[in-house]
Amino acid sequence: MSVTLAGVRAALSDAVLQAQFAAIVGVKNAIVGASALRTYECDGLPGYRVRPEIVVLPASTPEVAACVKLSRELGLSVVPRGAGTGLSGGALPSEGCVVIGLSRMRKILAIDLPNRTARVQPGVINLDISRALAADGYFYAPDPSSQSVCTIGGNVAENSGGAHCLKYGFTVNHVLGLTLVTPEGETVQIGSTAGEPEVLGYDLAGVVVGSEGMTGIVTEVLVRVLRTAERTQTLFATFPSTDEAGDAVSRIIGAGIVPAAIEMCDKLAIEAIVAATGVDWPLDVGALVLMDVDGVDAEAEETAHRAYDHLSAAGAIEIRAPRDEAERLLAWKGRKSAFAAMGRISPNYYVQDGVIPRKQIAPVLREIAALGAEAGLRIANVFHAGDGNLHPLVLYDERVPGQEAAAEHVAGEILRVCLRYGGSVTGEHGVGHDKACYLGEQFSVDDLETMQWVRTAFDPDQRFNPEKMFPTPRLCGDRAGVYAPHPAESGEAGRG
Amino acid sequence: MISVAGVTPRDVATPRTVPELADTVRELHAARKPFALVGGGTHLELGNAPRALDTVIRTLALDAVVDYTPEDQTVTVEGGMTFAELDRILAEHGQMLPLDVADRARATVGGVVAVNAYGRRRQRYGTAKDLIVGVGIVRADGVRARGGGKVVKNVAGFDLPKLMVGSLGTLGAIATVTFRLYPIPAATRAVLLQFTAVEPIGDVAREIVARRLEPESVALYNYRTLVVTFSGTAAGVDAQMRALIDIASPCGAEPSELSQLEREAYEQRERAVRRDGPWRLRVIAPPSEPVVTAVGGVAAAPMAVPVAYPMLGVGLHAFSATVEGDAAAQPDRPVRDLRETVARATHGRGHVVFDAIPDAARSLVDAWGPPPPAFELMLAMKAKFDPHGLCNPGRFIGGL
Repeated sequence: MSVTLAGVRAALSDAVLQAQFAAIVGVKNAIVGASALRTYECDGLPGYRVRPEIVVLPASTPEVAACVKLSRELGLSVVPRGAGTGLSGGALPSEGCVVIGLSRMRKILAIDLPNRTARVQPGVINLDISRALAADGYFYAPDPSSQSVCTIGGNVAENSGGAHCLKYGFTVNHVLGLTLVTPEGETVQIGSTAGEPEVLGYDLAGVVVGSEGMTGIVTEVLVRVLRTAERTQTLFATFPSTDEAGDAVSRIIGAGIVPAAIEMCDKLAIEAIVAATGVDWPLDVGALVLMDVDGVDAEAEETAHRAYDHLSAAGAIEIRAPRDEAERLLAWKGRKSAFAAMGRISPNYYVQDGVIPRKQIAPVLREIAALGAEAGLRIANVFHAGDGNLHPLVLYDERVPGQEAAAEHVAGEILRVCLRYGGSVTGEHGVGHDKACYLGEQFSVDDLETMQWVRTAFDPDQRFNPEKMFPTPRLCGDRAGVYAPHPAESGEAGRG
Repeated sequence: MISVAGVTPRDVATPRTVPELADTVRELHAARKPFALVGGGTHLELGNAPRALDTVIRTLALDAVVDYTPEDQTVTVEGGMTFAELDRILAEHGQMLPLDVADRARATVGGVVAVNAYGRRRQRYGTAKDLIVGVGIVRADGVRARGGGKVVKNVAGFDLPKLMVGSLGTLGAIATVTFRLYPIPAATRAVLLQFTAVEPIGDVAREIVARRLEPESVALYNYRTLVVTFSGTAAGVDAQMRALIDIASPCGAEPSELSQLEREAYEQRERAVRRDGPWRLRVIAPPSEPVVTAVGGVAAAPMAVPVAYPMLGVGLHAFSATVEGDAAAQPDRPVRDLRETVARATHGRGHVVFDAIPDAARSLVDAWGPPPPAFELMLAMKAKFDPHGLCNPGRFIGGL
């Protein structure tokens, strides 16, 4: 296939390529040329850039289908792209690919409250769905921290989570149906079409969600919308160290309380968040827990009291309950701006995303701290404690020779710690380019082969988002799927 | 002798361990012998007759707990464990797997995942899709593979657990399953609303949403009796019980609280409709479609007291009497009529699935109806997982 690709590329000048796609999407939506393509060379994963052959921005399902068919005829691989906020390089272009961006498909097509659904185009911003529903007292539950900029199409590709998925579930639990343009260029309806609670046959929507752009391009999404709870009670508690905070989380979960969200920040993360947002959080503490309980009024009240007791028993220094909605939202704004806030305390940072069984938070955080100390790097922790989804932020300075590689190495070792505790290499950011080599440490060759069956049922030629998710010899060395050296070790990382 | 949708196998195998299950499947694969997995045998009447069946693999001996960490609220068990046994193990730690099955003593976790069985508590907890976090399978070629994991949040790799839910054994054998668990609620109480007409039932459902009540289940019996169950903290349940009673009278319903015994009696009736009777069917439609009208179309046929989940858009029916006269010889006609009636009543958005068809009528009635639009992709999936067509061939929709 690479021979074909090279041949095609040699034969096609930018202008010819642009003209062919422009016939579908218009010339200003068929982007070529080094400077114009620069924006599309990477996503939210720093350090990796690959220039695509062309970026096309279709405005409708038929245009997407036509672009996919043309890409196929030209023998070009396809990389779908939403807002480009992904942290695992899922939208990183592959060599010689067409990037199909969905940013022009941003209409909320229908809201059907009697069936508690909304039909949206993939370029709709996550938070805009909840905004459109707020006046009626409904919301769309998955709430990644990037929800004010990330799109539903990207959320579908990554099976995005967020703080409140602890109670409400992930994108996959809220997508009822999809319109999919398959890698063959066919347009098919998958799953529920109008909110019917059962569909016949295999749960294809269940595997397209989270397939990281490898099963086609989703052009419409039927999402479930929920009634907002009668009451949401937020609690904010500070602790001497992450040991007590982790213990508090374990006690609460272990007591059978199902919080809507329960989040944790360590000292370094608190410093960064306070510096960046000015929230009124104490700096002389070792950790904080931010949690929501919600439900009918009486239930939320009773549960909040129980949670308060557990926070207290675990050794909280101070427990606050926001007095009003403004104060509540401010606390959450602090939490959700945590990644960006790292810029205040470090020139660069590497966001990691791993999962551990939730009773193991304290020992794993100690191991992570030890890894940082050994490498001479600071690591901030801000994460979804209730479901054991860690986000260690490895801080470094790219101007210091060797630090970036060291940070990547530490981040990789953190994933190995997660696996050793029986966890996963990604809870919500996806495997993408970043973690393809680690997937082979989490799953066996047979597991990965079986997953490839699912992929190739949709995309026999593997033209959609090639070289993502699955470890390959090119990415990981010649023992892919069994042992995969980290890019920092092998020096074979595909830096563009 | 056991039979699967009316077809009797040549042989029955009973592996005692997952490696033995893999050996069994590998041998059948090598000999190109078609097979079906059977757990407790509670859904043997579901689906169309398999095109071929050499061996039934009973999973009942695969009943071990692989991993249970109560503090993490996750459990991994082998596919042959019964719900009754799992309930017992989890209850010791105040936890539960809130999937409803009609026969907990017999139904197995693997079987329930394979058929995607659910009941009234879907309102609160969702289906197996919302509770499964990991799966271990034995593929059609006898190779073991797994997807997901044992942590509650995980997006690493393609989602094999979701694919297995509702796949009816046509993509491979479910060997182990990992679920997220819930605490057993401190309190559970139910209100019964007696209606004299069908129309106000929708009003109550709308009011439940409008007032932000969060019932565990809403079940309608015989088009007239609505049982709304609340669970949670004592105070939360109490407040919701009072709120519902406030709603009921303006909607023209006579409310009364059920005793625990009465509540269990209703739940027993619901299970019976899902378990008993030679003909059983599900009507599925968007919740906004007047579910009472939708199921009313079916009401012309002789049947046991029907149960519906009006807030989900599901109606369940069990025919109490055998179909007589011409219909007995040619049941395809009334079944076709029924499908057309449901489609009309639901503006083309509803469909009918048969959960049980008498053996005599099976060849005349398609349990599933026409395949969905994405069927080509399903065929492609089947071809990848089971290229020789050995896993329950022909039993699922469209001959999958």
